[in-house]
This record gives sequence, structure tokens and C-alpha cells, in this order.
Amino acid sequence: MPGLYPGQVVRVRSERSLDAESKKADRGVVRQMLAAGMKALTGDSNDLDGWRRFIVPQDVVGIKVNCSGAPQIFSSPEVVGAVAEKLVEAGVPASNIWVYERFENQVRTVPYAEFLPAGVQIWTAETSRGSILGYDSKVYVETTFFGEEDTRSNVARLITDKLTKIINVPNTKEHQASGVTGCLKNIAYGNFSNVARSHQREVTNTKTFIGTLAATEPVRSRVVLNVMDGLRGVWHQGPFSNEARFRFYPKLLMLGTDPVAMDRQLIELIEAKRKAEGAVSIFERARTTLGDNHDPNKNAFIREPGHVEYAAKLGLGVYDLERIRLKEIEL
Amino acid sequence: MLLLAAALLPRLFWDAGPETAPALRQAGIEKIAVAAERVASWKGVLDVEAADPSRAIRLVAPSVDYRANQASASRTPWINANGWRIVRQPAGEFVYDVKGAQAALAAAEAFSWNANALIRTDAAGVGPLGEMLRLLKGVPAEDLAPVADFGFEDDGSATAGEVMNLFVKGNLLFRIVPRPDPALKMHVKLGTKEYPLEDAKNPVKIAQMARANLSDDRRSVRVYGSVVVVTRLLAARDRARLHLLNYAGAERRVDGIRVRVAGEYSKATVRPEMKILDFEKVDGGTEFTLPEIRTYVVVDLQK
Repeated sequence: MPGLYPGQVVRVRSERSLDAESKKADRGVVRQMLAAGMKALTGDSNDLDGWRRFIVPQDVVGIKVNCSGAPQIFSSPEVVGAVAEKLVEAGVPASNIWVYERFENQVRTVPYAEFLPAGVQIWTAETSRGSILGYDSKVYVETTFFGEEDTRSNVARLITDKLTKIINVPNTKEHQASGVTGCLKNIAYGNFSNVARSHQREVTNTKTFIGTLAATEPVRSRVVLNVMDGLRGVWHQGPFSNEARFRFYPKLLMLGTDPVAMDRQLIELIEAKRKAEGAVSIFERARTTLGDNHDPNKNAFIREPGHVEYAAKLGLGVYDLERIRLKEIEL
Repeated sequence: MLLLAAALLPRLFWDAGPETAPALRQAGIEKIAVAAERVASWKGVLDVEAADPSRAIRLVAPSVDYRANQASASRTPWINANGWRIVRQPAGEFVYDVKGAQAALAAAEAFSWNANALIRTDAAGVGPLGEMLRLLKGVPAEDLAPVADFGFEDDGSATAGEVMNLFVKGNLLFRIVPRPDPALKMHVKLGTKEYPLEDAKNPVKIAQMARANLSDDRRSVRVYGSVVVVTRLLAARDRARLHLLNYAGAERRVDGIRVRVAGEYSKATVRPEMKILDFEKVDGGTEFTLPEIRTYVVVDLQK
């Protein structure tokens, strides 16, 4: 990271991507959106040529999904399935493709297997919550926030043992602690253990920790592409909101290699929705906004959306809107 | 001071009569303590001795309070541990009143701290206690000294007690000393400039200050992957013994724990037997992963 296309984001939107009534995703439309996005990102006339810029058949590829919020919101199986199909088309054996996440109890609620090519594997780091056995004991970031005894956050063992590339598939969500949870947070908190320790009371250390984790090797160099699933989103109480009134339906995908530029676009998306709903900005730091977050103007934490700009300072991508090239496609 | 690490096995204090002997035998319990007036009735049934729990120092039932529904300043669950009480009165006789599987954890705790302890339990506790006693009996006696990273001047106050409790639960290895000991890495005394009594009103603060002053790099033992595991480390020149107690006990097995012990060791023996993972020497220490801790694990390390 920031990969082959720093500062570039492709946003593909289709009203047809979700059924108006059921909000069920249309696989065919999702495939079209993904293909259009890839062509726009790489400039290739054939989307498969685009995929081959990132992946070779010898790769072992992880698709990092985000199921924090499942079964309400998660990386859509339609999107994940479409990504896996393209990897197979690009020559990667299905058995060398791993859809993965940290918590088994969350992944179990999403029917990924039904949407994946036969042979694609599903893996979770914590088959029992809190277990460290799915993490590499030798690769970790060590720091202390609140005097906790366990000062290490270890990277998922799958990454160090097997994967040569990672396709990151986050969602479009507000996050009570980090402001938004997009590419960077899915790379960071989604690949390392023992990260919830960064929050205590209203204080969260996500501003620096997210970028620090995302910049840690081998994670940084393994993530070659981000496909942000914005078919559905959460604009408040994220990521676990159970309240339907805080969900929204942007009906879009974003593609890019620069997680900072993409999360910058996510901030714009969430802020616009919150403004339309009359809710305070995610950048609001007044203590008067602390409280019961059933009220969209209240939150449990002082959010830290500045983690995106901080990640830019670590060289992970471009934060300045003036320097981000956004290509918008409507299907 | 050297001590025989496996010398003291906790004993079951049993209120019921000899008609319960078959259940005790089935659990593998061969020796019990009973009230003096009951000794005669047990003679010839099991190995029996007289004991008076009312004269013993009462210990809390070792456990964890998760307090999930209670707002608190910390996510860390509260561990009910007794190490500090035993350290404060090492020659004391102690008693636990525990139910069910807690009897096993109580026995392991007493054994780890080399406490002279009675375990008073119910019928449901006999099986787990018997199983734990079998494990403890299999731990070979070794002349090992408790490892301490710093000294603490215990003034006998409740505050000092709570500070020691937090040291124990935080795996901060200390020894009670009457004055600074140059052999130790640092000295902690309440009421000094470094550890003012005003700060001691919040004992957590003192424990955090001591940890910061010591620094994690100089600690003889570290635990990663659980906040409910408390250790006790003993060592001699070429070997060490690490006791690991899971205070969540049988209710909640710890699935994987990473341990770092200062000093480079080549070999580890684990009881109960299990495969040790990712054993390596790193930066002057030895690190390894235990795949699980049900209630208690003891690791013998050899250089």
C-alpha cells in the first residue's frame, strides 16, 4: 500500500444493485459493477487483464471480509463471490483462495459458501473468542494504552503462513470509536489480535493504532487491492447497530489500491448521510455529545476519524481531496 | 531462600462421615482432615488428621468476576486471588471454603504459593479436587526460590495488602523486604516520593507506577493472550518452574496463551502433558505457547 494506483478511487453505483423492496443484492449487477470498476481503475478494456495486474496464478489469495455487524451488515456474499470468481478466472486455483475474518461466530451468520466457487476456503482466526492460536506468535505490534497486561497485537497466522496477496473487502460504515470503518480499519483491526484494548471509557487510541497496524509487514505489502462494499451501509451506531433506521443503501462499490484515498471518500459519504439526517459530524469532539447513542447526536466515544489522515502520514496513501482522482460510474 | 517447591499438598477438610469414604476413594483422595471429634470415626477408613478451620486464615474462593453488566473504568475482569495473603503470612495455615470445580483451582493456587491449606468443599468438589491432587502429586520436588523483580515494604496496612494483590494479579514478581535489597531491580515503599500515600488511595495507580518504573522489558515473566491467568515463577541457576493458574477455572478454558520467561532455556516439561508450541529463545528470554489452560498448568524449564 498504497499500491499501483495511489490517490485513485473508482466509485461504481447502480440503482439496480439492490432490490428496492427486499434489499437483496443482484449478483449479475454486482458482477457488472466490479468489472466496470476494475476497467476504470486499470484502464484495461478487459477487466480480467486488470485483475492480472494484481494477481498471478501462483498466488495464494486472501479475501479479507468484514463481518463486524453481522448478521445485520457484512461484506456481501455477492461481492465476495464475484471477487473470488475473478481470481479463479485469472488462474488462481480455488483451493488457493481463502475468505477470512477474525471471528468465527460472526462469519457463521453469513452464507459465503453459497456464493463462492467450489473449493474456495473459509478461515477464521478465533474459532473460540479470545484464542491466540490463530495468530502468529512471532509477528506483532507491541504497545500499551491503558496499562493492560497483554501488550501485543499479533497478525493472523494465515497471512504469515500462507497468503501471498490480500484483496480487502470492507463495508461503508460509521464506527463509534474510529469514526469510519473502511479499508484501513479492516486491514488493521481485522488482521490483528487484541485490538479492542485501544478503547476505554470515551477514549480510543484508534487514531494512531489503525495506521500503525496497517503499515506493519507483511500486511502492508500483501494487500494489493481494496473493493469496498457500499451496497449497504451504517451511518450511526456502527459497526454493530441493530437499528434499521441507522442503515442506508448507497448501492455502490469502490475500488482502489490506496486505502487512505478510499477511506477519505468513505468519510465524505458518511458525513453527507449524517448531515442529511441532521446528525453531528463524526469529527465532533465536544464532550456534550457523549452519551446514549440511540440518539444520533450522541456517541460512546470521542471518535477518531483522523486515523485516515494519520495513515497518510505513514505513507499509506493520499488524504488530500484535491489530490485524489475520483472516477464515478453509474450503471 | 530455597524451598522444596512440591513439599506442601493441600488437604481436603471434610465434614461428612465415613459413609462417604467410597466417593472420596473413587476421587483418588487418600488423606483427609476432619474436626478433632470426628477423627476416631474415620480411623482405619482413610488416612486422617485433625484440623480446626476456625483457627486458619480464611481465603477467598479463587474465581473471576466479569461484571459485564457493571460500568467500570476497565475492561479487565476482577480476579479473586489469594497469593498476596499467603505471601504476607507464609507460615500461616489457610482454609478455603469452595464449591464444585473451584476446589481444584483452590488446590492449585495453594500449591503454587506453597501454602499450608485446607480445602473445605462439597460433594461436587471432591472429583475435581481429587483430579487436581493427582496432578499436583506428580510434580517433582525441586529446590527452587521464588523469583522477585523488586522488593516491597509491607507496612501491614490494608492498602499495602491491596497493592500486593494487584502485583500478584498483574504478574509483577515481588518479595516482601524490610529494607531495599540491592539484589533486586527496584524497591517499592508506600509513602515515599515515588509512591506517595495520596496516590496509594488508588492502589491500581501504585501497581501501574511500579510496573512502569520496572518496565516490561525487565520483568521476569509476561503473559499474553489472557487477563485471567496468574503466574508464579521459581528458579535456580539452571532451571525454573512456572505455575499458571486460570482463575476462570473449568468454567472457561483459556485457548492458547503465550508466555515469556527471562533467561534462555532449552527444554520444557509441561503438566498436564500437552504439546508446547512455538518454543524459542528471544532477546535473552524464552517464549512458548501453551495450547490451553483448563485450571492449572506447571511448566518446568531446563537450561
